[in-house]
Amino acid sequence: MNESGKGLYEKVKKKIEASQEEGTLEKQFGDFWKFACVVKTRQHDLRYLYDDTSREFVDKNRDKLIEMREDFVDHIDSYVEQCINIMRKKNFTVHYAKTNEEAQKIFMEELGDNRIIYKSKSNQAKDIGIIDILKKNEILIKETDLGDVLVQLFEYKLPSFQVGPGAHFTEEEIAKKIKDVYGVELEPKAQAIVNYFRSTYRNELLNDVKVSLTSANAISAEDGTIVLGENEGNISLITRATDKHIVVCGITKIVPTIFDAILVTKLQSRINNVSYNYISLISGPSNTSDIQGTSVQGMYGAKEVVVILVDDWRTKAANENLIYADFLKCIGCKSCIFPCTASRAFGNTYASKYGLGPTAIIRDYIHNGIEAAVNDGLFLCSGCENCYHWCPVSINCGEILKDMKKEATEKGLAPPHLEQYKEKIFKDKNPFL
Amino acid sequence: MTKLIYLGCLSNTRYQETCKNAIKIINYLDPSYTILDDVPCCGALSYHIGNDVELKAHVESVNDWFELNNVSEIVTTCAGCYNYLTKYYAQFLGKDYKVKVIHFLQFLAEPDNLSKLDLKHSGKKLKVSYHDACHLRNAVIPIIEEPRQILNSIENVELKEMENNKTNSICCGAGGGVYSIFKENSDYNSKLIFDQLNRGKILLTACPFCFTALTRIREENKIKKPVIKFEDFIVNIMEGVDPLSE
Repeated sequence: MNESGKGLYEKVKKKIEASQEEGTLEKQFGDFWKFACVVKTRQHDLRYLYDDTSREFVDKNRDKLIEMREDFVDHIDSYVEQCINIMRKKNFTVHYAKTNEEAQKIFMEELGDNRIIYKSKSNQAKDIGIIDILKKNEILIKETDLGDVLVQLFEYKLPSFQVGPGAHFTEEEIAKKIKDVYGVELEPKAQAIVNYFRSTYRNELLNDVKVSLTSANAISAEDGTIVLGENEGNISLITRATDKHIVVCGITKIVPTIFDAILVTKLQSRINNVSYNYISLISGPSNTSDIQGTSVQGMYGAKEVVVILVDDWRTKAANENLIYADFLKCIGCKSCIFPCTASRAFGNTYASKYGLGPTAIIRDYIHNGIEAAVNDGLFLCSGCENCYHWCPVSINCGEILKDMKKEATEKGLAPPHLEQYKEKIFKDKNPFL
Repeated sequence: MTKLIYLGCLSNTRYQETCKNAIKIINYLDPSYTILDDVPCCGALSYHIGNDVELKAHVESVNDWFELNNVSEIVTTCAGCYNYLTKYYAQFLGKDYKVKVIHFLQFLAEPDNLSKLDLKHSGKKLKVSYHDACHLRNAVIPIIEEPRQILNSIENVELKEMENNKTNSICCGAGGGVYSIFKENSDYNSKLIFDQLNRGKILLTACPFCFTALTRIREENKIKKPVIKFEDFIVNIMEGVDPLSE
């Protein structure tokens, strides 16, 4: 890409126009998303279920979380080393990848001759480029999270919400799609659709999975336990009923202890209003010592658990204090997305291929540079810092985005009108004259 | 030493009546505050688009102007100016920055000032809502309780909190220069703010950027409840004018 500020501005403007036009996919998503955001940021959010709202839950744990994450960033190398050592002792196959490319290469080697992979949502796998490399190698990707199954079914290409990527499809649309694709007539009701996938897909997940891919909600450095939260049961199935379970995630998923890992996972559940009915704690491959005390791997669960811990931008950001160094503290809870002014207004126009909202744009910037971020709608950020107020570890995405805007301006990628404002401020000492 | 009333470019250019009201209140409480001609823009918007060298140069030039005019204290009526004059000026200038900056709401909420104002609303009990502007709630010294203290001090005025308030408030979508390029942000978010005005009869704001966005949305959506700048509201109360009659 080699765009000008004007060109990028017009592209974003066009996307916004599409998002306001009746009948477009962008508008459909936007309407759903506006509703979701408003519900989520209301004062009484989840009060019907718990004594406290998710915001209050975050506030209660904020100091502890900040301390934990700052400590991690300050001692990133030693935490990674501690984690890898204990994991190897527990018979995980552990790889440390310096770059995304290295992680992709390791992943393809681990995949071996297998041409099918069953995966959970694993946003981290997207971030690390695993999905891209799988597509490039024409590996059949079998989504197992129903939201992703629907996205795949609809061949939906626009950015979507990381947690519920298919939540904007209506029951009627899904039933029609199933009829078109599978020739099965269903009552357009959520229950009927779920029943359909349960009856057709569950057996396959129980019997046919050879290699599965997940990320991790958190990994405990103290005992090398991987924590995975979910509500559907897909993760439970594909991490147990498989030969090889491959975990791919950034090293920032590491937290000091198992209790910290559970807190982080619980927080993600509360923030996103996803009931993690199942939380898996995976401390190694399946094994038994029931025959003469001899430890043998691969009883009923996974024979092998491979962990690919990826550094890529992370230690560099910490060591060189890059503008997004604060982002290392991120626990991936997505609490910054719901209250984001721009996200609310612009839905999947203020987004990247990594998902919605400020963190997805920061990720795109890290991997694909400033031009990609401007194209994602960087200049839609009004700097309200709601992301900061809601963040359980007090990352100021607003400040990171502000620094990114400065870089964009220096490279001539800012919207032309803003450039004029700047001129007026510096020369006329009043931008509104 | 000059004690300056820093009105901010947006108010000074577009909302002169509000500026007059602000000056009236401030000078009633402390006549030693003054206004000056050719006050430079604090540069708020440029923090989203300028590089550090340009910004530092601008901040230094404004500080030079302060020194030239012997400015020792500022009370500003602009939320954006307050945020930037306290945060970035201290960041760029360090110890060279000697100006004490407070916001109009902080000034008003000082106990002596509140008792001198002794505000009373005559007529039917007036229920008002206050919109927390990002610039005020995000500042180094956040201004969150002051407007509430002021409103609660007014006899016959009742503050009805918006559902999203304080640090949880909805942004009007006009900050960061977004208003000039992508108005759709405030189209949606400012409307949301009005949607939360359940029981308040008036929407009060202390930020000229929010005021601009909210006023436009109010007109476009033909919303009956008025949005009033804090200064104008206080002058109405001081002068016994019903703010709803305006």
